Amino acid sequence: MSNYQVLNKTAHADTKVITERSAEYGDNVKFAMTFPLEFRNIQSNYPIFFSKDGDTGQFYPVALFGFEEKENLFLSDSGWDATYIPMMIQRQPFLIGFQGPEEEKNAVASINMDNPRVNTEKGEALFTAEGHQTEYLQQALNRLEAIHTGHQHNKAFVAALLDNELLEPFTLEITLNDGSNNQLLGFYTVNEEKMLNLKGDTLERLNKEGYLQAIYMQMASFARIRALIDKKNALLGKA
Amino acid sequence: MNNKIQRVVILGGGTAGWLTAGIIAAEHHIADSKEGFQLSIVESPDISTIGVGEGTWPSMRSTLQKMGISETDFFRECSASFKQGTYFSGWAAGGEDYYTHPFTVPHSYGETNLAPHWQRVRDQVNFADAVCPQGAMADGNYAPKKISTPEYAFQLNYGYHLDAGKFAEFLRKHCVEKLGVTHIKANMQSIRTAENGDIAAIMTDVAGEIEGDLFIDCSGSRALLLGEHYKVPLRSVNHILFNNTALAAQVPYASDDDEIQSFTLSTAQTAGWIWDIGLPTRRGIGHVYSDRYNSEEIARKELLRYIKATAGEQAAADAMVRKIQFDPGHRAEFWHKNCVAVGMSAGFIEPLEASALVLVELSAAMIAEQLPANRQMMDLVAKRFNNKFLYRWDRIIDFLKLHYILSERTEDYWRENRKASSIPERLAEQVELWRHQSPWHRDTSHVDEMFPSASFQYVLYGMGFETQPSATQRRSEVEALSRAGSLFQENARRTEQLKDSLPTNRELINKIYAYGLQKI
Repeated sequence: MSNYQVLNKTAHADTKVITERSAEYGDNVKFAMTFPLEFRNIQSNYPIFFSKDGDTGQFYPVALFGFEEKENLFLSDSGWDATYIPMMIQRQPFLIGFQGPEEEKNAVASINMDNPRVNTEKGEALFTAEGHQTEYLQQALNRLEAIHTGHQHNKAFVAALLDNELLEPFTLEITLNDGSNNQLLGFYTVNEEKMLNLKGDTLERLNKEGYLQAIYMQMASFARIRALIDKKNALLGKA
Repeated sequence: MNNKIQRVVILGGGTAGWLTAGIIAAEHHIADSKEGFQLSIVESPDISTIGVGEGTWPSMRSTLQKMGISETDFFRECSASFKQGTYFSGWAAGGEDYYTHPFTVPHSYGETNLAPHWQRVRDQVNFADAVCPQGAMADGNYAPKKISTPEYAFQLNYGYHLDAGKFAEFLRKHCVEKLGVTHIKANMQSIRTAENGDIAAIMTDVAGEIEGDLFIDCSGSRALLLGEHYKVPLRSVNHILFNNTALAAQVPYASDDDEIQSFTLSTAQTAGWIWDIGLPTRRGIGHVYSDRYNSEEIARKELLRYIKATAGEQAAADAMVRKIQFDPGHRAEFWHKNCVAVGMSAGFIEPLEASALVLVELSAAMIAEQLPANRQMMDLVAKRFNNKFLYRWDRIIDFLKLHYILSERTEDYWRENRKASSIPERLAEQVELWRHQSPWHRDTSHVDEMFPSASFQYVLYGMGFETQPSATQRRSEVEALSRAGSLFQENARRTEQLKDSLPTNRELINKIYAYGLQKI
C-alpha cells in the first residue's frame, strides 16, 4: 500500500526508518531500475539488462538479483550480500513527488507512511530533537536527487540506444545443478556486433554523452550472470 | 530496341494508388537517375478520393512493415484502431443471434481439427469461443496487445480499422519522402497508343506527356485505362450477391473516452446489413442493401434506427447520409497489354469481408514480385495474374455468398439468396460435402488461398450449420478426441488470462499517442 506524505519536520518529528535488508521489508525483488551514474558500482555486483515498463512500454536499465519473481539471491538472513546496493532499493521508503500546476511542477521529497520500514520505535530518525535533518535524511535526500537526475539520464540514454538500433531481445537459458532448465525472458541487451560496426561520428557522439562508457559497463556486467547462477546452485545444494 | 520495364506509371492517387506505389517501391529500389527504375503516380488535383472500406485484414501489418512504416506513426496519423474480426448479429435467424469470426485460427489448428469434437458440446458453448480466445475480446472491447508489445507484434492476431482519407494522405507522404515515388498532379486528357496496342504515354493538362512501360490503373470505378480505353467489360455478379447500394454515415462518440469496438459489427437487415466500424475519433456506420428488395426510404429508416439505438436520438438526427451505388462484380480480365487495374477499377463488391484493401495489397504484391523484366515477358505475367485474380474473385464471391445461404431469415431478399439458381456450383458442392465432413486443411487447394478453411469453420458453425458425425470411427479422430478436451480447457484458460492482462482499445490507443510502441 502507499500513503505518501510530503516530508515535514513537525509531522515526521518522531518518524523512524528501519534500514536493515530483508524480505520482510520488501527487498525480495528480482530486479530494480538502475542508472548510468551508478553503473560502475552495479556492474561489479549485478548483471545489467534493459526492461520495459509495463505501463508505458518505455525501456530502462535494470540490475538483476534473481531468476524468478520475488527471488533476490543476494538476500539472506544476514542481510544483502553485495558491496553496493542500488539506489532504487536504498531509496525506500522515500519518493520524489510533484506538486503544483502542470507547467511549473516542483519536485518534493515524500515518504510512504505505509512502508513497513516506517515506524516510531526503531531505526534511523529523520529529524533531530532540534528539528534539523539528520545525516541519514540528508543522505536520503541526496539520493532522491540523484535518482531524479538518473531518470532523465535514462530517457536520453535509452533514446540514443534505440536511435542507433543497438538494443535487442535477450533470452538466457540456464541449466542448474539439479538438471532443471530455467529461462530468463523479457529482457533486452546491447547488440555487441552492432557496437563493433558503429562509425566514427556516432561513436564520438555516444562517447561525448558518456553513453559509450555506460554501454561497455553494461556489456561487462554479463560476467556477473555466472555469479548469480552459482548463488542459485548453492541455494539448491542447501535445500 | 530497349524494351526493359523501367518506367511504371500509376494513374490515380487514392488509397489504391498510394498503397500500390508503396508496395512496389518497397520491393524495387527507385533509381536516382532517369536510367534506372522509375515509379510515378499521376493524381488528379480535382477528383476527391472515395475511401473504400475502413477495415483491413491482418496482412496489412506486414504490408506496412515492409514499406518501412512506423506503426506508431500510422496509429497517430490515420485514426487507426485494432480490428480483431467481425461480429455478426441477426444473420442466422434475424433475432438476438450472433457469432464472431475472429482473425485467430482455432487452437492447435495445425494438428487437430476441433470442429467435430465441438459438435458434441455445441449446446453449451458457441464454436468460436470453444476453440479461440479472440471472440470473447469483443465484449470488453479489448486490444489485441499491450503497450510493451513491439510494433506489429501481438498477443492476438489483428488488422486495422482506419480513416481511408487520412490513410491515403499518410501513404502519399511516405511514398514521396521516403521511397522516392514521383508525384505528378495533373489530369489525364488522352492516351497515346503504341503500334502494338500498348499505352505509350498518357497526355495530361499541366504535366505534358508521361511515358511509361507499365501503366497501373488505380482510377477508381471509372477504370479510365482498362475500362474506358481498352473496353475490358465488367462482369456483374448481381445474380449471386444482390447488394448494390450503400448509405454511409459518420457518427461521433458521446465522449472522448467511449470504448472503441474491437470487431467490425455487421448487423443483418431486411434486405442487406449494417456495418459499424469504430475509429478512435468516430464510428463509420453504413447500410448496404439491394435496391431490388428495398427502397432507399426504408433502407434509410433502418440505418437511422440503428444509429438511434446505438448512439442516441441526437446522433441519428444529425447524421449526414451519403449514398453510393455500385454494380457488384469485376473486370473480365485485370491485366491487358501493358495495363493492369488495381482497386475499384478492377472490381467492387460489398464490404462484408473487407476484401477491397486486401485485394489491392495482393495485386500490388504480385505486380512487385513478378514485375516483368521486359515487354516479351509481360504477356506471360499478365496471363498468370489474370488467372490468379479471377480465381481469387471467385473465392471471395463464394465466401460472401456463404454468409447468405446459411441464414434462416424469411424476408424475400433472404429467401431469394438461398435459391439454388443464385448459388455458384462450386460453393453448393462444398456445402453439400461439409454436411458430412467439416472443412479443414484438405479444403485448401492453393497455397495462398484467400480464405483458409478456418474461416469457413467460423462462418458455418457460427451460423448454426450441422456436420453429421462420421459413420465410421476414424483412428485419427479417436486420437484427437483424447486431446480435444484438454485443448478446450487450455483455450478457456488462455481466454481468462488475456482478459486479465490486456488493456482496452481506448486505453492502448491513448498510450500509443502518449508513448508510442517500441520497435523491438
